[in-house]
Amino acid sequence: MGQRGQLQRTQQRFAYSIMTPIMLYLMLFSLIPMIWAVVLGFFDYSPVRLGSGLFGLGGDNPFVALDNYIAMFGDTQAAHLFRTSLRNTFLFSFLVLPLNLAITLPLAIIIERSHARAKGFFRAVYFLPTVTSAVAVALIWGAIYSPQAGLLSSIIRSVGMTPPKAWLTDPQAIFMGIPIAMIALIVAHLWQDFGYNLVIFIAALQGIPANLREAAMVDGANESQMFWLVTLPLLRPTMLFVCVMTLLSSLQMFILAQVMTAGGPREQTTTILMSIYQNAFRFQNMGWAAAMSFVLFLIIFTFTMIQFRVLKTDWEY
Amino acid sequence: MSPSTTRIVPFGISLGMIARYAVLLIGLSVTLLPFVYVLVSSLKTPAEIIRVPPSFFPKDATLQNYLTIFADPRVPVATFFANSTLVAVGRVLITLFTSSLAGYIFARYEFSGKNLMFGVLMAQIMIPFQMIMIPLYLILVQLQLIDTLWGLILPAMIDAFGIFLMRQFIEGIPRELIDAGRMDGASEFQIYARLILPQLRAPLASLGIFTFMATWNDYLWPLIVITTHEKRTLPLLLTWYSNAHGSRPALTMAASVIVLLPIVLIYILFQRQIVANAATTGFK
Repeated sequence: MGQRGQLQRTQQRFAYSIMTPIMLYLMLFSLIPMIWAVVLGFFDYSPVRLGSGLFGLGGDNPFVALDNYIAMFGDTQAAHLFRTSLRNTFLFSFLVLPLNLAITLPLAIIIERSHARAKGFFRAVYFLPTVTSAVAVALIWGAIYSPQAGLLSSIIRSVGMTPPKAWLTDPQAIFMGIPIAMIALIVAHLWQDFGYNLVIFIAALQGIPANLREAAMVDGANESQMFWLVTLPLLRPTMLFVCVMTLLSSLQMFILAQVMTAGGPREQTTTILMSIYQNAFRFQNMGWAAAMSFVLFLIIFTFTMIQFRVLKTDWEY
Repeated sequence: MSPSTTRIVPFGISLGMIARYAVLLIGLSVTLLPFVYVLVSSLKTPAEIIRVPPSFFPKDATLQNYLTIFADPRVPVATFFANSTLVAVGRVLITLFTSSLAGYIFARYEFSGKNLMFGVLMAQIMIPFQMIMIPLYLILVQLQLIDTLWGLILPAMIDAFGIFLMRQFIEGIPRELIDAGRMDGASEFQIYARLILPQLRAPLASLGIFTFMATWNDYLWPLIVITTHEKRTLPLLLTWYSNAHGSRPALTMAASVIVLLPIVLIYILFQRQIVANAATTGFK
């Protein structure tokens, strides 16, 4: 008994000696930044001003209550840019999500039915773009979209059509109400990102028990019935995961737009995260930027919750 | 014989199958074309790359762009490479150590506050980076770590996902192993280091590859933290020839190849493991 108690004490001491620094670390690099970020949103804070009080919040970095949030609805240039970047981010995300699913799900079904060797090969190649540097991807696609000597323009010329003067820089270039530059970004993003959802769908399809498909086959289901009535419902948990992750990353789109278009032409591709970055680190307007990032956080949080509600499933197989 | 009506020849090839492979091959060319394009473009002369009508393959392939980049005194590629490697390797080693140790504690120790701590850790996964990047920057300013490579490593020493992954794996290691270690008089840390750690080769490799790639490709945080040219990491080199310093498309393509090459090589080596990771853990 005494020895057992001794052992337990030694173990507890060891556990706490490891967990205490880790928890302190998390406090410093996660919890405090999280609270600080929310607090910053209520101040007119810039690190170039000295301020007073805790963390320089006060003095010439005054508390402004909800002013940053109210200003978002105002008529200033900053407010217009905020609303534009929010609109662009939504446009981008809500085009990327369905297009991504429309590519990855059918492709996953096709790959899943291929021979084992072909399956491994195609999966490996399709996944390659997801591990590459997004900056390099932005530069390569920038070259593909280059107006005169670019690959896309020369492909279009080679089939006898006339390419537009510019893919990324012409603010007048609009297709079905969507700026061409935005479409160009979406295509590049889909190219880099689709392999990720693809392998997740393939794994999920492999997890569907064969006897369920066989049972449906015996009942005389055809291919499309099989997909809509058997496969798709069974993919619901995967679909939830894929939708959440895809929306999460596209709502935080930054690198492609920053490098390929710098948000242009005429702010047509400025995303919310670009706007946050510029205001915080270029203009040193961190109170305003923190308020914007809290809005983005709320948007991400809300969409995640909605998707959990809509796609929630309470049966298993 | 299957009753399928599309079966037309006795070699087991059906129309449906041909159509499926056609789709897969189209996908394959779309996926690979940009890689081929950057490679062949990087071998063109600065004059040829902007020539209209453009050629796909270079007329006189040259390595001049690479030589220019490596000889450019304004762009110390070797330094950038060393910086990227240092930060990536540093982050990998630290993450592997903290994840496996904390994962072991969560999997095999009972102590009060354990569930609360685990909850805090998992909540941390939910916080998007963009939400905390401004305060994180201000903390680094206080710690005087802005414009240092430590500033790139320090905020990423604890990986909640890594801890979660290790805990899952360690729960599968038989308790008898630990008990046997205690019988032999090993200290708690020795049990971790000598008995648990060697069992974790597979998940450590997965987490290590993932962390390396994420760090290697990281752009936003180095962009915020690093201000001195010599302390930049490779992704920041890439934009050097494309915007602020006049557009140099041939050099940009060669620089892209330089940055892509290590990661593509790692991918080819560990492809099976990387894809399996993504499929089973949802790593991104």
